[in-house]
Amino acid sequence: MYLAYTFLILVSAIWLVPVLFGITTSFRSQTEVVNEGFRLLPVNWIVDNYVAILENTSSAPILQWIWNSIFISTTHTLLVIVVVSITGYGYTRMKFKGRDALFFTLLAISFFPNVVNLIPSYKIIDTLGWVNTPWAMIVPGLAGMGNIFLVRQFMKGIPKELDESARVDGASDFVIFFRIILPLIKPVLIVCGLFSFVGSWNDFLWPVIVYTDVQKMPVTAGLLLLQDVYGNYRMIGQLMGSAILAIIPTLLLFLFAQKYFVQAIKLNAGIKG
Amino acid sequence: MKKVNLGPILFVGPHIVLFLVFILLPTIFGIYASFTKWNMISDPVWVGLDNYRTILFNSDSTFYQQFYNGMKNTFIFVLITVPLMIIIPLLIAVALEQKDVKFKNMFQTLLYIPGLISISAASLIWSLIFNKQLGVANNLFGSDVVWSATQPYAWITIIAITIWAGIGGNMIIYRASINGVSPDLYESAEIDGAGSFRKFINVTLPSIRFPLIFTLVMTTAGSFNVFAQPLMMTSGGPQQSTTVLMMYIRDLAFSHGQSIAGVASAMAVMLGLVILVISAIQYYLMNRNAV
Repeated sequence: MYLAYTFLILVSAIWLVPVLFGITTSFRSQTEVVNEGFRLLPVNWIVDNYVAILENTSSAPILQWIWNSIFISTTHTLLVIVVVSITGYGYTRMKFKGRDALFFTLLAISFFPNVVNLIPSYKIIDTLGWVNTPWAMIVPGLAGMGNIFLVRQFMKGIPKELDESARVDGASDFVIFFRIILPLIKPVLIVCGLFSFVGSWNDFLWPVIVYTDVQKMPVTAGLLLLQDVYGNYRMIGQLMGSAILAIIPTLLLFLFAQKYFVQAIKLNAGIKG
Repeated sequence: MKKVNLGPILFVGPHIVLFLVFILLPTIFGIYASFTKWNMISDPVWVGLDNYRTILFNSDSTFYQQFYNGMKNTFIFVLITVPLMIIIPLLIAVALEQKDVKFKNMFQTLLYIPGLISISAASLIWSLIFNKQLGVANNLFGSDVVWSATQPYAWITIIAITIWAGIGGNMIIYRASINGVSPDLYESAEIDGAGSFRKFINVTLPSIRFPLIFTLVMTTAGSFNVFAQPLMMTSGGPQQSTTVLMMYIRDLAFSHGQSIAGVASAMAVMLGLVILVISAIQYYLMNRNAV
């Protein structure tokens, strides 16, 4: 047991150090960083770095980037929830010819590694006029099959009798969907929502490709520019401050929704196998 | 005339349209483009297997060198990262599931949080750790290394940040699975005189084989797409020794003015095939041996 403790404490310490080091450095002045060298705690705590970051709204508009990310991720998440719930309903509660064959065909196609569709996807976004707009990040991800698979698995667990008796009473699919199924699948929708939000927030390759306008990009793509804006680590405090600001929103979301995250990962792995 | 039932079309139809436009069409076009000369502006011109011939066999070509260098570096990353991403979370999960360990959820939260930090923010912070003068790394080891520009240290920075950010999800999956193993199995193993190590090998591992396969396949497939860590931490250097294939694909297709999207597509198809084949082999081997 002591072995387990020692191991856990050691690993946790290693895992914490980078974030703490980043935070404390963001409160040190550049002169102090250069003259005093490596220190875990600042000699003088200052907020000048953050003031400078917030004032730079042209080459590194971090608040604008964070707002772009919030808009993109929130809109994307809401649309994911709409799409996966109605699609999941279609594939589990409705009867039509070739339903399961259709579902598994789409699922199989989606297993094809998406590195192949990267370049044409850009061309499609370009044709739609969505380059440098939020839609470039909001819409394509709605086509994925992962969340629909998850919702389908969950919906299959809901007893058939529930909607069948409603159907006998003359309820339409819309009524059954809104009144009966939707309230019951809330847990899995929260799961899909959280993953979609964090996934969209942290996406890197795609935004680096579809955004060239500094004011329009989400925060992950923006941070790539910072190494140049802040002179390749010649303004370390401001670089660290920007990184810290960028991680606050998802961290807050996690702290509020922690139990759902853990549930989510278990559900996603399909532990029951 | 037969009445067409509109209901399913309304419920399933919208997603099918999205799927066709954003997954099926680009996938088919991506494969088609790999057989063409294409700059993303004018129409693609069919060249048959030329792109493949160039990247696979024409050793005088820059594309050939980029392809093999990118493939090699991607494989180095995958071969080092994947075992660590399976073993470290498994060890942590086993430690967390020891009966008397307290603060389980606190440890779990702490180790999971880095996974929520975007890789670009994490890279900025980690570049400070590996900074020559100011970083924790050089101070800790009393060394004087330019981490991002010297091998093998450049790889170490990339692997370190990947492990740091990536173990949380697998850890939670293993923890939940170990938690779900029937205590009876452990008891009967104890009666047979098994110590903790034998119990781990004979009871825990076989019982969690499905999550193990799942995480192995997902982690491997994800690792082949590596892009952000080398771009942010080392910019692919020194001397392109950490430039992964995704970086070449992006540069060839999206470098402004002279896009070489046909060749980039051929590289993408090759990478996609590698991912597909390796996932299938892993799934087949592990599923067969585990039964």
